[in-house]
Amino acid sequence: MNISYDRRRRVGGGRVGRGASDLAVMARRYRETRAPAGPTSEVFIMRFARQLAVLALITVFYGAAAQVSETDVKACWLYVGPVGDYGFSYAQDLGRKATAADLPGITTAYVEAVAEADVEATVDQLVADGCNVVLGTSFGFGDGLLAAAERYPDVIFGHATGVERAPNLLTYMADFYQVYYVNGLIAGGLSSSGIVGYIGAFPIPEVKRHIDAFAIGVKEANPDAKVVVRWLYNWFDPAGAKEATEALIADGADVFAFTEDTPTVAQTAAAHGYPSFSHYASMLPYAPDTIASGQLVNWGVLTTDILGKVIDGTYTSTNLQDVDYFWLLSQGAVEVGAEPGMVINPAYEEALKERTVELANGDRLSVYDLALLRIEQMSSDPVAFDPFTGPVYDRKGNLVYAAGVTPSVAELLGLQWAADNVEGPWEGEP
Amino acid sequence: MELELLTTTLARALAFGTPLLLAALGEVVAERAGVVNLGMEGMMMLGAVAGFIVAAATGSLPLALLVAMLAGVAVAALHGVIATFLLANQFVSGLAITIGGVGLANLLGKEWVGKPLAAPMLPFDVPVLSDIPLLGPAFFTRQYALTYAALVLALVVWLVLFRSRPGLTLRTVGESPAAADAAGANVRRVRFLAVLVGGAMAGLAGAYLSLAYRPAWGENITNGMGWIALGLTILALWHPLRAVPAALLFGAFFTLSFRLQAVLPPELLTLLPYLVTVLALTLIAWRGGRGAVGAPEALGLPYRRGERE
Repeated sequence: MNISYDRRRRVGGGRVGRGASDLAVMARRYRETRAPAGPTSEVFIMRFARQLAVLALITVFYGAAAQVSETDVKACWLYVGPVGDYGFSYAQDLGRKATAADLPGITTAYVEAVAEADVEATVDQLVADGCNVVLGTSFGFGDGLLAAAERYPDVIFGHATGVERAPNLLTYMADFYQVYYVNGLIAGGLSSSGIVGYIGAFPIPEVKRHIDAFAIGVKEANPDAKVVVRWLYNWFDPAGAKEATEALIADGADVFAFTEDTPTVAQTAAAHGYPSFSHYASMLPYAPDTIASGQLVNWGVLTTDILGKVIDGTYTSTNLQDVDYFWLLSQGAVEVGAEPGMVINPAYEEALKERTVELANGDRLSVYDLALLRIEQMSSDPVAFDPFTGPVYDRKGNLVYAAGVTPSVAELLGLQWAADNVEGPWEGEP
Repeated sequence: MELELLTTTLARALAFGTPLLLAALGEVVAERAGVVNLGMEGMMMLGAVAGFIVAAATGSLPLALLVAMLAGVAVAALHGVIATFLLANQFVSGLAITIGGVGLANLLGKEWVGKPLAAPMLPFDVPVLSDIPLLGPAFFTRQYALTYAALVLALVVWLVLFRSRPGLTLRTVGESPAAADAAGANVRRVRFLAVLVGGAMAGLAGAYLSLAYRPAWGENITNGMGWIALGLTILALWHPLRAVPAALLFGAFFTLSFRLQAVLPPELLTLLPYLVTVLALTLIAWRGGRGAVGAPEALGLPYRRGERE
């Protein structure tokens, strides 16, 4: 994986100057959900309180050795961007809130807009403030979290989108590839021009995997359609997203999917009357008539599971070396929908019911029914369908996955090839 | 196809270039009076958030634009006091305003994230003019009223700066505040007002982003555009009319970096606007420094009566 393209870039923005805004977010970086108690002016009370606190800490420490009671868990999140990005960090914070609601006994806190280089120092601060579970939510936090996990062996660490683990550091991921595949079916079903636009952030395996899954869906619903990709080289670039969408429209695209942290693509497509998809959060309010479906994430499902197992003692600071979550539709970590509960926008129901597809077994289904069937098949455990099951060829004609073969999670995490109906630059293409 | 590429590129360059042009015009006015304003980014952010909140709360676009300009003016007044009355370092003051302004705008806008605007400024086709071949699709189709306002403002700023007595005074204050002072001009007041005008334009530029171009509020909505506007001011050689093609140039490279991504290395196209600026700056320096190209002589220098310049 290319480190230089990591999620750290979700803040600021590389295309235009970024220094000042980064400083500004750093300045108000540290924020807790529970306000600390106000200081008392009486010195002797302070001293007494401090001694009490030490006593209490010792008690808690010995108590914790026996069992961590629910109220002792203080889980603290590190976000790479501001929670107001309405994208990745926003979704992470929704997850934190959901988990806090699911597990009312725990305390939660968060630090937003953490720079990669500041991870260790931020963890120092959090641990000093009593956090005993630390969750870092950016790929680029890996090194900092590993070092911190070594320094604080009693603290439990979690790394969202991460790959490296330790006895007290687990990794977790909610992945969209199945969702993008279903969105691809819908996009293929809705395209009249046969050109589907995709605005991607960085040409890294995660984004390529999603584009390929999307393109496989497009092809299944519309065998002649192509997916034209334009890159932003940025996670956050609303102006770029707008101009990339306009450029694709000028080149004939009439359906749009994207990986970018604002609703700009959906808004721009809507201004021309073209369908698009929600990404991460529901973007339906921004384009109520034209968001056909989308990719929604429920990070809280993962963190509730993780913290639940911390509370019941399943996870300790010594047994996390092999704990890796790669959660999909069947675990409810991700969801197909324009907004939660709206799988397909009713505005496009008729169009999708009119277009039919012939399946490999000879059945004819409408794109609408096919999309729902695939969601059902991929939501079952074990899954009854995987979009990457071979034979799959890349656009250079190479057989990527042989007939009947489904790639492993490791293969998906390192995916580099481009699907045979994808057009556009593709760095690192094998 | 080539003609379509040309007209679409011009149209998109105009749409993307509008906030750059508005902010650059404001910077031209301030810098012509001798005050550097590095607070553009912060002023744009405050204009963007103030305009959005007012538009969302009242539904009135004119009121939103007015408040956006006032928000820019309010922060500009701070910069103006620091730079012209307290005679402190303009660069430090401007940077502080950008850092503080961005943070404050994000804080004020927190609860508006994820909420669309019910009645944003909509693009429109100019009647009759949009039917003209080439020019119609390039300049008169699907643009916003603020874009035309920006073009008119470029003309107005030029008329005032170069064809009026107050403009002459303003430029003199920027070139030689001592001479202007001797001629009876109130140097501090002129500079202060010029900074306020710059703030109003920055506020308008921010409002264009949150009310028309996006239209939405999100953190860091300007994403560095205030800094591009500062570069544009130099590329335009501190001239309001030259700021128009300069803004179009920036806009054109930006949109082409997506349009031509399949045929040209995207890195090159992303780099080009900055390459052009660096080349222009090199050219300016090579041709004989700020005096040769129209940079105000007293730019960035605080003025104290009686001190040698």
